[in-house]
Amino acid sequence: MSALTVRGRIWKFGDSIDCGNIDGVMGGVDADFKNRVKPGDILIAGRFFGMGASDEHAPRSLKEAGISGIVAESISNIFLRTLINIGLPAMECAGIANAVNDGDEIEVDYLGGSVRVLRSGRLLAGDRLPDFAVQILSKGGLMPYLKSGGQFK
Amino acid sequence: MPMTLSEKIIARAANRKTVSAGDIVVANADKLYIKDLRFSKKEDAKGLYGVLLEVLESMGKQNVWDGQKIVVNLDEQPPRTDRRSEGQDRARDFAREQRAILYGGEDGGIGHNVMVEHGHVLPGEFIVGGDSHTCTYGALGAFATGIGFTETVGVLATGQIWLKVPTAIRFDLTGTPGPCVVGKDIVLWVAGKIGYEGAINRTLEYAGPGVKEISIESRLTMCNMAVEMIAVNAIIPADERTAAFVREAGGGEFTPLSSDADARYVHIHAVNLGEIEPQVAAPEYPANAHPVGEFRGVKVHQGFIGTCTNGRIEDLRMAAGILHGRNVKPGVRLIITPASFMAYRLAEKEGLLKILQDAGATVTSSECGLCVRPSLAAGEVCVSSGNRNYRGRMGPKESSVFLSNAATVAASAVAGEITDPRDFV
Repeated sequence: MSALTVRGRIWKFGDSIDCGNIDGVMGGVDADFKNRVKPGDILIAGRFFGMGASDEHAPRSLKEAGISGIVAESISNIFLRTLINIGLPAMECAGIANAVNDGDEIEVDYLGGSVRVLRSGRLLAGDRLPDFAVQILSKGGLMPYLKSGGQFK
Repeated sequence: MPMTLSEKIIARAANRKTVSAGDIVVANADKLYIKDLRFSKKEDAKGLYGVLLEVLESMGKQNVWDGQKIVVNLDEQPPRTDRRSEGQDRARDFAREQRAILYGGEDGGIGHNVMVEHGHVLPGEFIVGGDSHTCTYGALGAFATGIGFTETVGVLATGQIWLKVPTAIRFDLTGTPGPCVVGKDIVLWVAGKIGYEGAINRTLEYAGPGVKEISIESRLTMCNMAVEMIAVNAIIPADERTAAFVREAGGGEFTPLSSDADARYVHIHAVNLGEIEPQVAAPEYPANAHPVGEFRGVKVHQGFIGTCTNGRIEDLRMAAGILHGRNVKPGVRLIITPASFMAYRLAEKEGLLKILQDAGATVTSSECGLCVRPSLAAGEVCVSSGNRNYRGRMGPKESSVFLSNAATVAASAVAGEITDPRDFV
């Protein structure tokens, strides 16, 4: 397993959840979720995850809740970049919403771009992250990346 | 290799001869826009400047890459919380110490309006900004997109950003917009037609003979709402109107660019402007747009005209056109927030503010205003000229927001229910 592989229990959310409703650990969708989610859990979302504002407290709330990774059918450009920049691995993967049930355990390889559903053994191919995103994630985010001499070259 | 306008700008910023969709490049930013909110402690306990100084120190630097390419704006006037006041103080410290350009007070308003009105956006520039509506600047032929807090720090430190060149879709505009149809109606119509699936993480380019029929104000609205379609950016090639606007704003010289005839688009949509009616987007998604007539009779508690989407002089003129000699229905609130003091003063000079006030509207100073703070009670309905109507955007989740142009907001405030502004013209 690479350092960018995470394994955990999933929580599944729907389509078109905007940044404002993600704020407060998905507070606008499920006010009690923050009490149920455990460190290491993985968040699954549908299409258009993180649309809307660029405010960073929403993605940071997910990281602070201990979520170890995110996989969604599609993720807004700003939101996906921000997740990577704060060191929370995230990936787009078409078909993920129908392939998993709430409570399933999955293994996500953010480097290789794949998701394995442990219950069914099914393997899904996601979008591989660009090299810059992988390098930033492997340092734990953009700030540690720059502080350790990382450059954009 | 043929390129789109956006690809040409990215290629130039990345010091490459050509780029094409899917390429990963590192671009040098021509400008960086930052709103004061980013300097508050809302997102990080250290604040943006605190995080930046740590990064700079670790890189052996003391200063940002180029202060004169950075524009900081105080979006909320007056600041309403101590945290925001503190953020604005830090924004001023930053601007002074890093020799950045700062706008506030009577020069200010909403940052995106300030950027274009003060000549900080030129056709062909590559601009990023710490606010999602940075995409507005595409209206002047720039490549512009929003970034988050952490990425803003990265650009401040390096002047650079990596990006994946987006695939592009094009709208070929023909015809002339009908009465009470402006940029807002065009962009809501487009959002309703192609949906999020058609636009997500792409470039939207508006082209064709219809573009010349559209004012710069309306173009700014169309590009502003690109992020509401989850696009990376929207762009409109510069023409004579753009050149005149940029000249008036005090912008410098620029070389006009346009897409190559055989540039690649994943979709090309034909849009006949004459077929578009005034649009309303129903809660809870901006793409949930339909002709205004479909919502006729929906009871309204509040109207709001303002925001970086529709608080410009064109919008204030449209609202005054509807409200002249009419009154806001008793019990309905109509709040009008000119998006910048430039628009405010022009509206004052044209006598528009008096018309709005005589009709019973409350005119406020220039800021983001009700777009970014709660104003609705549970069960209340607002018709807003703004950009977002997500659940809970303007109050508790039991409140709701319909989006429209400024004339529709004004007409609906007079009638107390959603109304076709063409009924009043």
